[in-house]
Formats: sequence, C-alpha cells, structure tokens
Amino acid sequence: MQVERTDAEARAIDWLVRQRDPDFTDWDGFADWLAEDNAHAAVYDAVASLDRDLDALPSASAPAVTIITDAPARHHPSRRRWFGGAMAAALVGAIGLSSLGLFGDDGRIETLAGEHRTVELADGSKIEINGASVVEIDKDRPRFARLESGEAMFHVVHREHDPFVVETGGAKIVDLGTAFNVVRRDRQTSVAVSEGIVLYNPDRDNVRLVAGKGIEARDGDRNAPAVQDVDVANVGGWRSGLLVYNGTPLAVVAEDLKRTAGMQVSIAPDANDLSFRGALIIDKNRDRTIADLAALSGTKAERQGDGWILTR
Amino acid sequence: MAFQSKQSMTDSHDRTDAAQGIEGVLLANRDRIVRFLEVRGAGDGAEDLFQDLWMRLTDRRMGPIADPLPYVMRAANNLMLDRYRSARQRELRDKAWGEASATQSPSSECALISREQLALVESAIAATGERPARIFRRFRVEGIHQRDIASEMGVSLSTVEADLRKVYAKLAEIRRQFDAG
Repeated sequence: MQVERTDAEARAIDWLVRQRDPDFTDWDGFADWLAEDNAHAAVYDAVASLDRDLDALPSASAPAVTIITDAPARHHPSRRRWFGGAMAAALVGAIGLSSLGLFGDDGRIETLAGEHRTVELADGSKIEINGASVVEIDKDRPRFARLESGEAMFHVVHREHDPFVVETGGAKIVDLGTAFNVVRRDRQTSVAVSEGIVLYNPDRDNVRLVAGKGIEARDGDRNAPAVQDVDVANVGGWRSGLLVYNGTPLAVVAEDLKRTAGMQVSIAPDANDLSFRGALIIDKNRDRTIADLAALSGTKAERQGDGWILTR
Repeated sequence: MAFQSKQSMTDSHDRTDAAQGIEGVLLANRDRIVRFLEVRGAGDGAEDLFQDLWMRLTDRRMGPIADPLPYVMRAANNLMLDRYRSARQRELRDKAWGEASATQSPSSECALISREQLALVESAIAATGERPARIFRRFRVEGIHQRDIASEMGVSLSTVEADLRKVYAKLAEIRRQFDAG
C-alpha cells in the first residue's frame, strides 16, 4: 500500500515537473495516467497543490530574474513563443492572491520583471499587473488598491455610491466604473483611460478623464496635469506585447521593456536625450525587438551581459 | 507605458480572433477535454466543469495564442487544481487548523501552508544538499528551463531531473507530516 502510493507520487512529481515547461503538450498522456487508477488524480492534486504553495518562496535577490523570459527563448529558437507562454501562464494560472494573508505582507503583490499577473478582487474588479511592479490591496478595503511602483491596468466594476480608489505616489485616482492603465515610475504618474471616466485627485486637481484621455503628472507639480489624447486601442498595450510611443525618452522605453518583458536595456549617456516614436512588438526573438528600437530611434544596439546597450 | 500616438497598428493584435480561436478549439476538442476533466477528478461533473472552463477562457481578453489546445488543457488542469484547493481550504478552516485560516475566505488562491510551514519547507529543501537545493531553486523559484540549468551547472539533464524528483519527493513527505500533525 505504502509502496503503491509512493510510486504514484513519484509519477505525479514527474508529470508536475514536465508540466512546468510552458511547452509541455502531452496532456493526453497525462490523462491516460490519470485513467489508470482513479486514485492518481488525488495524488497529483496533493503534490500540485503543495507546488503551488511554493509560489510564496521568496526568490533570491540575484538578477537572475531577467533570465526567466530570456533564457528559454535563446535556447529553443524553434519553439514558437515564450512570451505567449508567459502570457498564457499569467492568464490561466496566476489569477489571484497567492501570497495573501498567511505570509505577513498582507495584500502586497510583487511581480518579477517580465512577469504578468492578474488579480481578481472580491467585487469582481480586476487588476492586471505588469512585471517589476508592486500593488497593495487590503481585504478590509475592497474598493481600494495602491500602485506602489510599476504599471497596472485596472478594470473596475462600478458601484453607485462606492467609488473605487487607486492611490499612487501622493495621488488618488477615483474611477467611476471603468478600465484604465496606471504607471508609477520615479516621482511620476501616468494615467490612461480606455473605458468610462476617472477623476484624478478629486480633492485637489480634480481632473476628469474620459476614455481616450490621459495625464502625466510629476510629483510636486503645482498645477493640475494637462489632459492629453491617448489611443484607446493601445491603453495597457503591454498586456498583448505591443508598446506604442510618441516622442518618449529612450530611458522610459527601456524601463517599459524591463517591466513588460524582463529585458535589460541600458542607454549610453550620448543617447540619453533621444526620444522614440513608433511601435514595438515584444517579439519572441528579443533581438528583433531591440533591432526595431535601435533602427527607429537612430541608435546602435550591442549585447551587454544579459541585456543590450543602445549607443548613438 | 508612455503616451501613444494616433497611428493605427498594421500588425494588430486582434483579440476577437483570439477569443474565437479559443471557442473553436473548445468545440472541436470537446470530448477530449470532457474526458480529461473526468479522469482529472470531475467524474459526473465533467460536463458542468466544461462550461466553467468555457466561461473562464472566453470571458477573458487575451492576445493570440500560438498553440491553443495545450493552453486549453493547461487551463482545464488549473481549474481542477483550483477546485481541489478551494475544497481543501474549507476543510482546513472547518478544522480550525490555524488561527490565520479562520479569517480567510475560501479561495483557491490563498496559500494553504502557514509561514512557519513554509520555513520548514525551505529548510527541507536546503537539507537535500547544495546541488539539489540550488537546482530546485533555479527551476521552481526562478523559472529556469531544466536544459539551461544543466548547462549552467555543468551537469547532465538527467542529473537535473533526478535532483528535482528528490526535492519534490522530500516536500511531499513533509506535506504528509503537516497533514498528520
């Protein structure tokens, strides 16, 4: 009895290890194994459930995180899409509050560079979090979220007398039932609205943003930020691997690439003042993405360590 | 992301097509998916769960998916694991197994082990030896491909596989102790 269980467990572990490869396809083989003995599903669930709890293991501080998206693609050029796989994993697997509650850092969700995660809130609202970002939610305040740093797309369910509030930096973004993207980078906040209406700092600036509008606000600005046009189709474009820019500093583009795809791009001092206009597709072949960026910004790209450097 | 231009994209990522693609795959492989759900533990509930899976997958905005069938099967597998975890969560809460769990709403996403247990898991991983622990960390925490771990550590792929099995077996054993205690 003992022996049988251990054997089944060893097989379950083999399946689990193989399935962690985003290119795993042998689901029929797995089904056949499950069908061999109706105890197999329970053995697998126990092991897979433990494995999911390991999501709470802290990752080492090593900069290895960038390799998550990079390395497999480099070694398997024939495999269609690592990015697609990562997106798929983010969409299917990682819905939710995996490290919530029991681990002290109550409601703090931190993503690795290149990791995309979706969180569904109790009220049905949803937050899609880009990589290298920190979002805090509070189970006692279901209509509140804080974007500590990085980027997230909010899809908020409207409630008549209970607006959803997103805090970032010193600013408050109050939605009136909507979808919008927020980026918090060094002392600066960008908001772009794709549906509905949001109010930016209703107690202070009270800027009203409808779909197709956005703002870029710097911390400490005296005046309310100016409302700008944004292309609704491209709001939160990071989710589908499409980044569109119109005269954006290269350093900002580099930061977006790091967040969205885990790519390390540095900008040489002589290229610092260049800006970028155009669209970048996060290609499975990251060198192509970099080549596009270099060609469109008038720079040269070279490999540097795990990443690239752009020079003039 | 920074501000966008008005230009329209020639290479558009058409989400409608992607959603239709998923529906097509769900329909074309209905029997296969239902059979998978059955053997995966759904039994007679497999048809209902197929509907749940349909909702999960078609309700969501998503980019194009290169290889949709494995994606759908993975989603089906995750659906079953989520159900298992929700049930387990209720069970643990009913047993008042820890004071923290009493305040948790049942959700497949809450961790099922406590902080203390996680610390035990970490030391159990370390106790399997330096190489297995490192390989496991690279694989499970940092998401590195087995082949890449083998080449960076200068060992064979089968060594990596064996080490991963060893660590997982150890963790499964620890889990049984948690359950028994």
